[in-house]
Amino acid sequence: MRRCTECAVRIEGNWSRCPLCGSHLVGHPSPDPLPSVPLRFSRRRLLRILTVISLVLVALSFVVQLWLGHRPSEFGAVRSVWLGVCTMWLVALMALRGRRDLARSTLTLLVLAALVCTYWDYLTGWHRWSLTFAVPIMCGCAIIALVILEHVMRLEVGEHALYSALTVLLGIVPILFLLLGWVTTPVPSAICVVLALLSLALLQLERAADVRDELAKKLHV
Amino acid sequence: MTRRTWVRLDNASNIFLAARTESDTKVFRLSAEMDAEVDPGMLQEALDAVFARYPLYRAVLRRGVFWYYLQDSDLRPVVEPERRPTCAAIYQDGRRTLLFRVIHHRRRISLEVFHALSDGTGAMWFLSDLLVEYARRRYPAGATDESGRPGEQGDPSASLAADDAASPDTPDAAAEGAAPPSHALETDSFAHYFRRRRPTAFQEAFAEAAAPAALTLAEKAVRAEASADGDTAGASRTPSDADPDRPSRRARIHRVRGTRTPDGRTRAVELTMPASQLLAASKASGASPTMYLTALFMDAVRESSGGLGGARTMSASVPVNLRQFFPSTSARNFFATIRVEHAFSPDGAEAPEEVARALEAEFRPQASAAALAPKVARFIRVERSPLLRIVPRPLKDLILGWLNAASNRKLSLAVSNLGRLRLPEPAASHVRRVLFQVSAARPQFCAISHGDQMTVTFTSPFTQTGHVRAFARSLSARGIDVSVTAARVTEAELEEVAP
Repeated sequence: MRRCTECAVRIEGNWSRCPLCGSHLVGHPSPDPLPSVPLRFSRRRLLRILTVISLVLVALSFVVQLWLGHRPSEFGAVRSVWLGVCTMWLVALMALRGRRDLARSTLTLLVLAALVCTYWDYLTGWHRWSLTFAVPIMCGCAIIALVILEHVMRLEVGEHALYSALTVLLGIVPILFLLLGWVTTPVPSAICVVLALLSLALLQLERAADVRDELAKKLHV
Repeated sequence: MTRRTWVRLDNASNIFLAARTESDTKVFRLSAEMDAEVDPGMLQEALDAVFARYPLYRAVLRRGVFWYYLQDSDLRPVVEPERRPTCAAIYQDGRRTLLFRVIHHRRRISLEVFHALSDGTGAMWFLSDLLVEYARRRYPAGATDESGRPGEQGDPSASLAADDAASPDTPDAAAEGAAPPSHALETDSFAHYFRRRRPTAFQEAFAEAAAPAALTLAEKAVRAEASADGDTAGASRTPSDADPDRPSRRARIHRVRGTRTPDGRTRAVELTMPASQLLAASKASGASPTMYLTALFMDAVRESSGGLGGARTMSASVPVNLRQFFPSTSARNFFATIRVEHAFSPDGAEAPEEVARALEAEFRPQASAAALAPKVARFIRVERSPLLRIVPRPLKDLILGWLNAASNRKLSLAVSNLGRLRLPEPAASHVRRVLFQVSAARPQFCAISHGDQMTVTFTSPFTQTGHVRAFARSLSARGIDVSVTAARVTEAELEEVAP
């Protein structure tokens, strides 16, 4: 083992200079008990900053759209493309973030996309295409997607059940659109609601206890 | 259908989630250096065997709306060669991974644990069992003598450890006679003692903890000794009825600054010394080993900073194992921290021995069931207050993060002493030394001993080692035989060994 005569201590490992004072060591080196780990720099912080910046830009874009006016005549091709790019970016970010938890990610995407569509519809003159077609179709697809996911992938029952339940509950919302007469044609909403009610019945039969258990964990105060 | 067992995080754990940063990962490491190269296959077998007995270590961390919680999982741990810097991050937001890892390098077996899962004492139980299982496989001849449980360890405060003459160390006997604990996921000792049916559970425990004559006598003895010494500095500055959490307002607390390591890793320097020599020195000074080492540490920082400048008060936080006052076999967090401080005189004439006595007089009255119980109960009360309960978790993290940053500003150093690890055979004879270290937001040391080998590992987010140099030199000046092990962290240091 080497020795630092300045500090009067023994130095383990193959240091040529004292790690404490930097003076030369005497004696023979011993095997290093600790590995020398190369420097590694994390890109995580950079990615996080970029994500936050792009989310802020997207949010600002949506707000600016409102300020630019919301009559059909005021909404040209440029704004459509701009809004489309923003929406795509948002969806891609969310999908990347949620890739480890598919059920939860499906629910998040559904909510986001529904809100964006409704807002877009409002900007282009409120023709109600969002409530008539987009939202019910997306809800229905999300419910079907979750059923497929559940059967194709081995998902943890508990957590999956909670997000499935929430998605199904969202699927019942179009019944409001029907009752309040917000739709131009009732077919998509009706199909979505029937699908949701069927899934709800199935869920109640099979998974009610799991959902309650998961809710108890998540909402524990 | 699997319905997972789950349990909310205990009181002490929430702060680790809020306070962790990229450089201070809130991970701690316990290592054992064996007498021969580690066999990864046998280590894996040993880990599998121990893992089955510790349901707590199966837990993953999950996020609820209001609190984090630990949930049972089916994950299995795999031993890995050491490829990361010490105390590298374990928990990443939202990822469901085990909250500990077992790594090996040459002769060393290391257990790294995310602090929200367990504290030093809990991890020490796990490591002891792991070492026993490993040694039993590696050295089958010695496998006949089995006790199943590690002997009683010391505790995070060596002033209260078995080696100390004035020690109110009662749980030694209690723990040795007890049945092997289950270390189950459900046990939260904070909740057991300080929350539900608080008055009765607490009073019972308190009566139990306060009853042994040894404890009260030892305390009286120390108080009497402190006053007989004419040790006015410590006694007058911190009267025992004052709030120990609140630092004196006037004093400016010295904060250590330095250059951060290039990739934010923890700089660790290990000092190994004969425990008997250190104990003799601390006994001669009249202070417990923890306070003696703390005084040397403060003095080393004072010396390496070139005399402290304007902020002449140095403070240190010292965790205390609550299991010694409130018997518990929970492997989860169960500790409280005590803060001590010392104002250095401008002429710098005080000997570290003097400082150690002053710190001892300040620390000792706070390290008792009577002093700690109300403090912990207050934390629990705050945590359980109706208003705070319904604050969403991300906001809680933010608030706790601020509170932590505020209390960090009033701390110069941190020290932690796990005391003596007594391993059962066949592990004891094959372990040369054990080491303990923790990721650091400020210069810190962690001490632990095994046999006659005591190790004091300094960790810091800075590359500078001036305070370790001063510390090592003051030890060797007192005739203590020190050997130093350091990990390379700077570009220049790593270049030396680059292939």
